[in-house]
Amino acid sequence: MIGPTTLHVRSINHKNAPTEVREKAHLDPELATRLMDALGGHYADENHDPTASETGCISVIPVSTCNRTEIYLEVTEGTDADALLRRGLTEVGADADIFFSEYATELRDLEAVRHLFGVSSGLESMMLGEPQISAQLKDAYRLARNHHEPGPGLLRAFQGAFRTGKRVRTETRISIGAVSVAFAAVELARKFFDKLCDHRAVLVGAGETGGLAARHFLQHNIGHLVVVNRSLENAELLADTLRAERKAGLDKKAEKNSGGLLAPAPDPAGKCGKISVLPWDQLTAAVAEADVILSTTGATEPVIMPEMVEAAVPRRKGKPLFLLDIAVPRDIHPDVGKISNVFMFGLDDLDGIIQGNLDARAGQVPHAQGIIQEELEEFQQWLEDIDLRPTVAEFKAYLEGLKDKQVGFVRKKQSEEVAIAVDRSLQQFIKKVLGRSVSTLKSAQSREERERDLETLKRIFAPDERD
Amino acid sequence: MIVVMSVFKVLMPMIYLVVWGSYLWLFYTDHPVARRLCTRLAVTAVILHIICMLGKGFVLGRMPMGAPLEFLCALALAMLATYLVIEIRIKAKSTGFLVTGMAFLLIFIGSSFSTTEPEVSVYLDDPGFAGHAILVLFAYTALSLSFLFAVLYLILNRQLMKHQFGLLFRRLPSLDTLERMSVGAVKLGVPLLFASLCLGHLWMYDLADRMDTHMAAMLSPWDPKILISWVILLGYTIGLVGNRFLGWRGKRMNVMAVVAFISVVAAMGLVHHFFPSFHNFKSTEPISTLSGFPESASHILVRCEGGHDR
Repeated sequence: MIGPTTLHVRSINHKNAPTEVREKAHLDPELATRLMDALGGHYADENHDPTASETGCISVIPVSTCNRTEIYLEVTEGTDADALLRRGLTEVGADADIFFSEYATELRDLEAVRHLFGVSSGLESMMLGEPQISAQLKDAYRLARNHHEPGPGLLRAFQGAFRTGKRVRTETRISIGAVSVAFAAVELARKFFDKLCDHRAVLVGAGETGGLAARHFLQHNIGHLVVVNRSLENAELLADTLRAERKAGLDKKAEKNSGGLLAPAPDPAGKCGKISVLPWDQLTAAVAEADVILSTTGATEPVIMPEMVEAAVPRRKGKPLFLLDIAVPRDIHPDVGKISNVFMFGLDDLDGIIQGNLDARAGQVPHAQGIIQEELEEFQQWLEDIDLRPTVAEFKAYLEGLKDKQVGFVRKKQSEEVAIAVDRSLQQFIKKVLGRSVSTLKSAQSREERERDLETLKRIFAPDERD
Repeated sequence: MIVVMSVFKVLMPMIYLVVWGSYLWLFYTDHPVARRLCTRLAVTAVILHIICMLGKGFVLGRMPMGAPLEFLCALALAMLATYLVIEIRIKAKSTGFLVTGMAFLLIFIGSSFSTTEPEVSVYLDDPGFAGHAILVLFAYTALSLSFLFAVLYLILNRQLMKHQFGLLFRRLPSLDTLERMSVGAVKLGVPLLFASLCLGHLWMYDLADRMDTHMAAMLSPWDPKILISWVILLGYTIGLVGNRFLGWRGKRMNVMAVVAFISVVAAMGLVHHFFPSFHNFKSTEPISTLSGFPESASHILVRCEGGHDR
């Protein structure tokens, strides 16, 4: 139990449900809003006392991504959260049965909060440590906040989750290292060239894979990207798309809103990210000028031959040439890799890098779990103090009432300046008395002792006829 | 002051050990805390070591690098300080564990075994020597770091060629960065070596006026050690010009850096072996006494590097 309320989460995710089940469970923003309407979350008491709809629901936050759909609920104590959720899902036309099938997991109170912290940190993600989930959680939270004020438990839990996620990503290496082929290609290239902005890449082929790899290279500010394709028209099309995306990405970056695009790294001088196109018959010339060659065509025979590369090598004066063949069947003749100062890699190499990075991320899990535990203990501390709040608020109101009376009295007898000075002085006095009282209440050795202390405080300062 | 010096003597190796530990931690885990800490610790170690050396110099009344073990401590400082300059300029920390490890070993040996006051030449009290020796120390340290970074370049180059993606692949900076570090070290070393040679020449002529004729006759700008130093300077300068204007890059440049440093060590070793007399100032008598009694030159204790009296 979270104070006078309870927290629940029902989760369908990649660990317990196949894709088709996750698809059925998906809640788009419109459906999520309707679910919030149906459940009637409306915590909005100005004194921050939990108030609930007639259904007993204080707050609901649905989170839905491609790998998980989770519904976080805060309800008043004694409310049947399952029945409430089933009714709400049925009312909005969602498949309620899925959320109560063997594919769903249910967690309560602290376990629900621990799960949320794990999700926010990327520990529950399919790609361990992936950072996207943090933004997705924030979107879900924002949607819920626009609908209703979250209850104290969910508010605190989500704020804690965002903080935990940030800490895990900054204090551990759980999000470091490429775990996708396109990003691994960039990571590998960066083992050769520190600043990609000073280098020229040639993309051979204008297909989907090539486009994705090109986007990652542009995101890391490759100096000049040359697209070479058998169909010049397709190359031009890809180049135009990449230019438009880069411009949009830079604009969004300027607005500090990365959006869904691969936002490029800052490029204040604007000297990186040039994109141009060359016809297929100039492939040899393009290879001769390149530092990085990415080949992704659908050709059945190699298109980059040793003699093309051999011709380019002497001009490089010892600088390494990086070739990446991510086509199947391969685009680059195997003998190219035997040329001095030429480094040729393929899909198997990228898989090796990805696996190494995933293993390194897995090694960070205990550290991340330690951070989650720390944050959870803080949440638990907050929970333990939650019962103090009404009494402390009452005590504060009582003291402020006395202060106002005294200040009013001074104002009648003395000047306004004196009254302001007295007011300030008494404010300081109240602050000190409250601080001391709260710390004394917190230091109680047992729950019984704390309740006894609270009761005494209430009796001492309860308003009576003498006031 | 002597008590403070004794404390520093114990403290400095420990500080170097902590610095090495932080760089090792960074290398193995790439932990953000290690990333933040290591450079700060290294800077602190350098500052403390400089204070320690100044204090020791004040107590001894001479530069504390005349004896071999003192020299090791000074070498540790030079190594760490030169590395820090390169690290801060290039912004690459992952090679620090090697340099700081070597610096720790040097200071550990230098601090652990220096028990009695060593006998050092009176010529080494001279300020001219101080400047010359410090410049030489930093110059050759920079060249040795260039060698180290070039070796790391060749190791990473080989790993990439063999498609091995282990710890070194993950932790070492890019080939580009390693090359910049190697070239950066040479860019530091060449002007320092040039300055040290110039100062050495000036000091030599100044010293010749004050010492007895027999010893003064041994001082010559055509000494093999000086000549070889000029050749080294010329070789590294050509390398820098090639890198800057002729586009010498990559594996070839780094192989050259490795070969150059091995040649330096070999040449110095050979010259040291076959021409041991020069750069050997192991007289313990004051300069004024020496210059006042030129006929006593044969009694001056000038030891060869091997310890033979001459």
